[in-house]
Amino acid sequence: MRRARSPAWKRCFLRSPKPAFLWLLEKEWRELVVSRAWWVLLLAMGPLVGVSFMSAVRTYAEVSGLNGTAAGVGEALSPLIGVWAPTFSACELAAVFLLPFVAIRLVGGDRQNGTLKLELQQGMSAFGLIAAKTMVVLAGWLVAMLPPLSAILLWRGYGGSVYAPELATLISGHVLNAGLTIALGAAMASVAEHPSTAAILTLSVTVGTWILDFVGAIQGGWWEHAAGYTPAALVAEFQHGLVRLDSILIAIVLIVTGLGLAAVWMRLGTPSHRRLYESMGVAALSASAIFGCTLVRGSWDTSESRSNSFPVADERALGQIHEPLRVEVHLAPEDPRRLDLEHRALSKLRRILPNLHVTYVSATSIGLFEQTSAGYGEIWYRLGNRKAMSRATTEEGVLEVIYSLAGINPPKEDEAAVYRGRPLAVEPRGAGAVFFGFWPGVVVIGAILVRRRFQ
Amino acid sequence: MLFEVQGLSKRFGEIAALSDVSFHVRAGEVLGLIGPNGAGKSTLFECLAGVLPCDSGAVRAHGQSIGTAERPSILFYVPDSIAPWAAQSLRWALDYTIGFFSGRPELREEVVAQLDLGDLLRRPIGALSKGQLKRVLLAIGLLTRQPALLIDEPFDGLDLRQTREVAAGLRAHAARGRTLFLSIHQIGDAARICDRFVLLSNGRVRGEGTLPELAAQAAARDAAGSFASLEEVFLALT
Repeated sequence: MRRARSPAWKRCFLRSPKPAFLWLLEKEWRELVVSRAWWVLLLAMGPLVGVSFMSAVRTYAEVSGLNGTAAGVGEALSPLIGVWAPTFSACELAAVFLLPFVAIRLVGGDRQNGTLKLELQQGMSAFGLIAAKTMVVLAGWLVAMLPPLSAILLWRGYGGSVYAPELATLISGHVLNAGLTIALGAAMASVAEHPSTAAILTLSVTVGTWILDFVGAIQGGWWEHAAGYTPAALVAEFQHGLVRLDSILIAIVLIVTGLGLAAVWMRLGTPSHRRLYESMGVAALSASAIFGCTLVRGSWDTSESRSNSFPVADERALGQIHEPLRVEVHLAPEDPRRLDLEHRALSKLRRILPNLHVTYVSATSIGLFEQTSAGYGEIWYRLGNRKAMSRATTEEGVLEVIYSLAGINPPKEDEAAVYRGRPLAVEPRGAGAVFFGFWPGVVVIGAILVRRRFQ
Repeated sequence: MLFEVQGLSKRFGEIAALSDVSFHVRAGEVLGLIGPNGAGKSTLFECLAGVLPCDSGAVRAHGQSIGTAERPSILFYVPDSIAPWAAQSLRWALDYTIGFFSGRPELREEVVAQLDLGDLLRRPIGALSKGQLKRVLLAIGLLTRQPALLIDEPFDGLDLRQTREVAAGLRAHAARGRTLFLSIHQIGDAARICDRFVLLSNGRVRGEGTLPELAAQAAARDAAGSFASLEEVFLALT
């Protein structure tokens, strides 16, 4: 009997050798979809996002005038701050408490069941092996981000406005944050002999970054500077629609460092002392690269409300200042006025004036007992040989002093350019069904089908 | 000669797992690494495969030292007691072995038949029994392309019939030029399949050669002894 021949395209396709890296990607993907940790992550994302989204939409509606409450104005009604930042904060929670286990399972599992001993003999570099795992976990994370992405569709369905650049920034921030978590989990899973040890180490590092945030807020100075690059600070910037080149570069350096360390410790055949030296080399290179990145300037305000920028006319006026501007702030790190000044004025000023030098001066961290000290609360501005003092911490107050020092006429406020907000007074209709019913149902059915397919 | 091992040593803290281990491996032979539990057989294989660092020693081929990174060009090691890709089906695992390790697709059907894996192809590897898993590991090793295949305890978990069938299958592969280096602690099994032997005890090589050569070494030590079987030779030399 004559054998039926398969079509020419199929024969050709079957003959074409699939590169080893694609085989590895396929294997890692198959390993991911059978891991319970990933399905738990997916399952948890629905309710987590649901609670955040529904609560945010209700609050937004109240501020917009629902049920007779006074309508809000300005930044309070920016969907980015009012809806998307809280909704996507579920991703931050999941990235800290769930995603590390998915990454550790995928990296540490191979070591536990002996697969690594086989795969290391393929000849592929350890970095290639870890890169495949990272790509797959990142793809898994993108699937886990479907609930917050579906919240966007719901919001559009309610008649809400969506400003793509700020949403893209927010999503990118959470993807970058996930990358940091995956790299950290991968490094710890490679270093530690057991996945549970890796999980403890990963959470310890995360808690360490929280402590750094806390110490930075109290101590100020270099601590505060370092705390500006923690994952929490990174996400906070993206939540405000701010894209800072130095933060992104540092996050990328940290991700590569984590993956590099994972690759170093994955090479079981290399003596421990050599792996230790290599790790120290990776850490030293990373530290140098991070230092270099802190010198990089460049940022973009992608928020529709321009919440990270002065009005365009003011930015144009400030652009005429070329002399170094020195600001000496006599406020303690925990003084709320200092936070106001930093967020409302100085952070925006830094983006416009490359020659801005800010110095904080205080004897204590809370400033409570410094209130009566002479000079406390003063903010000194020096431009060339001119100087002025002010106690204002508002955007308008700070700009007024700078214009006066620079001898620039303050530009007229452009009423048309002022962001008036996007009020929307609606209930989160159907969100409960989507996040507490449909999504968990899809996840459970998906998990059962995959389980049946594999067993 | 395919490759030789020179002065390989490995310590775990105070314990010397391998001490100045030297021997050579000929192309196309079935070489048995014989030794009791704890002799250092698995450690030796892992050091040779480059998945465990050794303290000193070298692997040489054609007069040149073969570094850890180049070992996959001449040998592939199949560890004992591992369960790779546990959630995946055997069918996929074999495809993956051929694809990822640039294995030999032309041997796939033959290996499946030799190791009686046909009925297991759809089952996940993690659901297999110890003996079935061992046959899967053997299949993975046999499908790879390296000239030398190191298998740790190839008959562990197999019953008598399966042991004989697997031994015959391994011999068939050796007959076609594949070099097999098998770590075996059951001396009877080793005697049935191996051409030559490396006797390992307490991390040291106590003898190397064919059974007559080893028997001669044993007789040189104890002229009054009788060394007809590998067991007697092993006991005399270790």
